[in-house]
Amino acid sequence: MLEMELFSDVIKLISDIRHSKLHNSYDIAIHTEELVERLISEGKWKSAQDLMSLIKLRIARFISALPQEATPVNIMRHILKIIRDEYDTGFKSKGEGHQSLHHLVTANINDSEDYSKLLPTLKSSLLNNLAEYKVELESSMDNIATQALEHIHANEIILTVGKSNTVEKFLKYAAKSRKFQVIVVEAAPRFHGHLMASNLAKSNIQTTIIPDSAVFAMMSRVNKVIIGTHTVLANGGLRTECGVHMVALAAKRYSIPIMVLAHMYKLSPMHLCSSEQDAFNICASPADVLPYSSGPLLNKVHVYNPAFDYVPPELVTLFISHQGGNAPSYVYRLLSELYHPDDQEL
Amino acid sequence: MADPSTTVDASLVEDAATAVPQPISELESLRLLVQQQAAALDTFVKNQQSVNRGKKVGADGLTKKERRALKAGAEKNVEISNAKTNTIDESLNQPKNNVAVNSKSSKGKLQNDSSTPIKSQVKNHTESPPKADTQKSQKTLDAKIKENEKETLSKAEIKAQRRAVQEAQRQAKANQKLVVTPNNNNQATKENIKQNEQNIKLGKKVSPKIDLIKSPIKHRVQLFNHLYVGDFQEQNLKRYTLNKDIHPAFLQLGAQYLSRSILGSNARCLAMLSALKTLTNDFRTPPKQEFCRSLESTLKASITHLNTCRPLAVSMTNALRQFKLLLTQIDTNLSDNEKRSLLQERIDKYIQEEIEKAGEAISNEVNKKISDNDIILIYGYSSLILRILVDAQKAGKKFRVVIVDARPLLEGREMLRRLVCANIECSYLLINAVSFVMSRVTKVLLGAHALLANGYVMSRTGTAQVALVANSFKKPVLVCCETYKFCERVQTDSFVYNEIADPDKVVTVDASEKSSYLLNWRDNNYLTPLNLMYDVTPSDFVTAVVTEIAVLPCTSVPVILRIRPVE
Repeated sequence: MLEMELFSDVIKLISDIRHSKLHNSYDIAIHTEELVERLISEGKWKSAQDLMSLIKLRIARFISALPQEATPVNIMRHILKIIRDEYDTGFKSKGEGHQSLHHLVTANINDSEDYSKLLPTLKSSLLNNLAEYKVELESSMDNIATQALEHIHANEIILTVGKSNTVEKFLKYAAKSRKFQVIVVEAAPRFHGHLMASNLAKSNIQTTIIPDSAVFAMMSRVNKVIIGTHTVLANGGLRTECGVHMVALAAKRYSIPIMVLAHMYKLSPMHLCSSEQDAFNICASPADVLPYSSGPLLNKVHVYNPAFDYVPPELVTLFISHQGGNAPSYVYRLLSELYHPDDQEL
Repeated sequence: MADPSTTVDASLVEDAATAVPQPISELESLRLLVQQQAAALDTFVKNQQSVNRGKKVGADGLTKKERRALKAGAEKNVEISNAKTNTIDESLNQPKNNVAVNSKSSKGKLQNDSSTPIKSQVKNHTESPPKADTQKSQKTLDAKIKENEKETLSKAEIKAQRRAVQEAQRQAKANQKLVVTPNNNNQATKENIKQNEQNIKLGKKVSPKIDLIKSPIKHRVQLFNHLYVGDFQEQNLKRYTLNKDIHPAFLQLGAQYLSRSILGSNARCLAMLSALKTLTNDFRTPPKQEFCRSLESTLKASITHLNTCRPLAVSMTNALRQFKLLLTQIDTNLSDNEKRSLLQERIDKYIQEEIEKAGEAISNEVNKKISDNDIILIYGYSSLILRILVDAQKAGKKFRVVIVDARPLLEGREMLRRLVCANIECSYLLINAVSFVMSRVTKVLLGAHALLANGYVMSRTGTAQVALVANSFKKPVLVCCETYKFCERVQTDSFVYNEIADPDKVVTVDASEKSSYLLNWRDNNYLTPLNLMYDVTPSDFVTAVVTEIAVLPCTSVPVILRIRPVE
């Protein structure tokens, strides 16, 4: 009972995500940030150590409930880093920012900080920092969209898969000043592509909707593939909507660049845990693939409806975040900037 | 005899009238076709009988001269479209003047105008009783009509009309190029339509080509502009269903192709061959003509009709080529009945050798490659693959099958049903999940629509993608294909030769309770669903092609083509 009260906030978040009340990653990110903000301002903690353990408990709780959902964990992980930084600057003990290699090698093990000292200004400075972080989250989508003109030229044919709010905004921004065509892959059986196509067409972008099977046929005339992603893995690979892997392969075949629009909170320090996808993927209801009306046939067949695809980093050309473009090989560096090394494995 | 034909024609005219303002959907036109078939059968048989009695009424109710006139008309249109537009400036002015005169042209008027020629034609048919002596009078009547037409138009007018047509066509082309910015050219298309209305009014003759321009070119993917048939198909269908030269078996076949109720190149070829047999059986030589020659010309019309319904498959073209070759080689001294039975025998032999036996040989060959505990991935539906898998099951091999399916056809469900009936263990998924299973698969078996001379495989859309993913997972890809589907054509992309199927199929969502956001896509000019039928798989994705002759690399297709006795 006590536990329920302690974790009521994160339990609510989990259930909201499970019941698809929050389904786009931006909403999830904002909700998570607000959750932590409330925790800081109202929670029972004294030292930075207390606060960090509170957050870590929530992360653990969340991972055990929804291992596939990386965004909230990444947000909380980044906030841990903010707490550490604030603590450090509060005491001015550990020099500035990152330690040099020399310092790391010569450092005394006992020297490592346990964040247990009390720092009276910590709460207010954290809340300030979080407010700043929230603004960053909120403007991330627009920041990515404004880069559109650097990537889309006139009369291009752009292919995208399914629906991503970020991609939609990106394309719409470019459409204000340039004429181009978009081919939307419908991404059956979820058919997010249909909504995407209708939204794009409403803002007067010439849109073609194709079934998933026609990707290879169309690919040779496509100039760029622009997609969103669910998570960016530590090696620069992607966990994306199902079907993107074959799109990426087709693009690779024709040497067509694939751009991935990714907010910073999608960068996750996790690696692909096995080449067998079982640990990585989840399967949705097979009813969308083979309807229940198929009757007795259903007893005799296995029907799969996986939700994700793994796209290896060599198929990705570019990541575009609110800070600009980065190659997949640079993701590890971004990760070390986003998260403290001690928090990468939780 | 007059009765059935009049009812058919009357219904057609009604339909034509309704069809002009709002194009009828494929389904409706289909229903119409099927309705006509019964009547058409009667007329065809009766016509044939009348031929036997030695009377000279054309089998279609049209006189020869009329038909010739139709042909000439079509040729003229082609000429017009091919002619270069030298005098654009002049032609720009002339249609405008016309618009000024008749600026109030309404759609209703247009409808009447376009349907009247058909009506008058039909009147001609219905008024003329099927007696040999009335044929002459009808001829003169037709000639008179033609003369009248000529008289009403002076030479200058005809010239002006031609220029207007050219200009309209030029503008239509420009519109096609400008699909990206329909806002700007919406007006242009409207003007265009007006101009065309004008042309139609002036010219009195309605040719299908002009009608093609009349329809605004929206909802088309620029890259595939050359593949859209749309109105042209409708017009031609109407013309051909009026044409009693076409055997009802072919009319029915055409309807089945159009509705895509017969799918797959083997099935289509078999259906066509059986229609061909029926035709050979029912065909009676017109007097003073040779059986094979006249059969060939009748066949030509039927095949054109089939081609309008849906472009011929490579398998069908190859089979037809063999049949025509046979027609030219057949001994002219034989009696008609002997020829008939010989032809039917040869058709049966073709089916036996090229499809049945070849399938058996391929099945044997592939079965050698299937071992216990194999996981075989297949894509969509293929009669040949089904046969191979069922044979392997009968041979007692223990294997699993993964069926990959794709919208909008979802042929894989039929495959699933049949494989489950044959007690084969199956998994089923959609094409976007193909990477999910590919790592566990041991072999990929694919069917083919045709094998091209450069070694590329033409097949149902999605095949290339499955092969691509298999290739990236280093899995062997076997394409199973009878050699009668080999083709001299070379092709490296899926754009030049392809087919565009009903775009509505893309936006209908069947499996769940969801409904698509695109159901009213016609309201938005920027939105285009695209439903491609085929794609082309590069030869480097394919490990081997299994044919009845041998297991070959893709690149050996030209070798087989040289071995095969063609002409």
